[in-house]
Amino acid sequence: MHKELSDLINRNVQGANAVAFIPADSKKFDGSITVEASHIYKVIEFLKNNKETSFNSLHTQSGVDYLDYMEVCYMLTNYDPTAPRNVIIKVKLTDRVNPTVDTIVPLFAAANFQEREIYDMFGIKFNNHPDMRRILCPDDWSGWPLRKDYIAQKDYNGMTVYPDDKMNFEDRDFIVRQDMIKKAQSEKAQ
Amino acid sequence: MQDGVVLTTLDDFLNWGRKNSLWPMTFGLACCAIEMMATGAAKYDLERFGCGAFMATPRRSDLMIVAGTVTLKMATRVKMLYEQMAEPKYVISMGSCANKGGPYWQYGYHVLKGVDEVVPVDVYVPGCPPRPEALIEGVMTLQKKIANERLLRNKWVKHA
Repeated sequence: MHKELSDLINRNVQGANAVAFIPADSKKFDGSITVEASHIYKVIEFLKNNKETSFNSLHTQSGVDYLDYMEVCYMLTNYDPTAPRNVIIKVKLTDRVNPTVDTIVPLFAAANFQEREIYDMFGIKFNNHPDMRRILCPDDWSGWPLRKDYIAQKDYNGMTVYPDDKMNFEDRDFIVRQDMIKKAQSEKAQ
Repeated sequence: MQDGVVLTTLDDFLNWGRKNSLWPMTFGLACCAIEMMATGAAKYDLERFGCGAFMATPRRSDLMIVAGTVTLKMATRVKMLYEQMAEPKYVISMGSCANKGGPYWQYGYHVLKGVDEVVPVDVYVPGCPPRPEALIEGVMTLQKKIANERLLRNKWVKHA
């Protein structure tokens, strides 16, 4: 199904460069389709409005941090009672420091809060989004909490985030996690 | 000696009035608030202890039950609510999260590590969440504490 769908996208959206990922064990892993980040709006628009596919619902939208690049996943669902199906569209953002991608709020209004949450947690900016603010963290919070290299700030509004007398710093393995990140990066470089 | 006798009696009288009409604030933060509601409802009936009149405004309440996770975003609001309460005012910290951060105490970047960082706490009720019996025990502990207050030596008069 992913192969046919990626071919369909390539035929109809110029420059989308859709690549299907078909897992060896389809019971364990989900297949997905990766497209160009600059064409995501056109791809989603095509999948929504095309009679053949008509994915009429945005199931989920999420961000992923892969240490050397960011990814945004779009899970589209078709609630056609005769042939219900869903697909995962992925977008790879190579600029990890300031990742940006086009919004799909004009197509699916449900994407509004999802994109705000992705921005809040990963710092991925969505172009042309109507209300690009943080959704869960306070507005004056610094940093993107779900990034792998995130370290929480020390103070917030005069409150200590990790008070010395209440923490067990020896058990807390933020430093160990940093070591893990460096190890993973050096392994990838080799 | 005469003064002492009179004052002790007045103390007892005022404390009796205070401890049997503790009005908590309608204020819940997370899942502990569900247990707090259950405590106020018919089966556990907090009204038996004069503590069931949940007030909708901090200005009419004597007791703040901090029921739930206090995030850093919420902590400034909690402090503001506490400052709006009229004295004498008391705070019960309900549940592990309000006591010391709960499950978020080690890795939770967004959670205040105990509500006693921002407001003074009188009674801590442990549990995750505490059963209604535990909250009633906490309220009764607070009532015992109020019963032992001394009017001229207590913290409220000193600052007046």
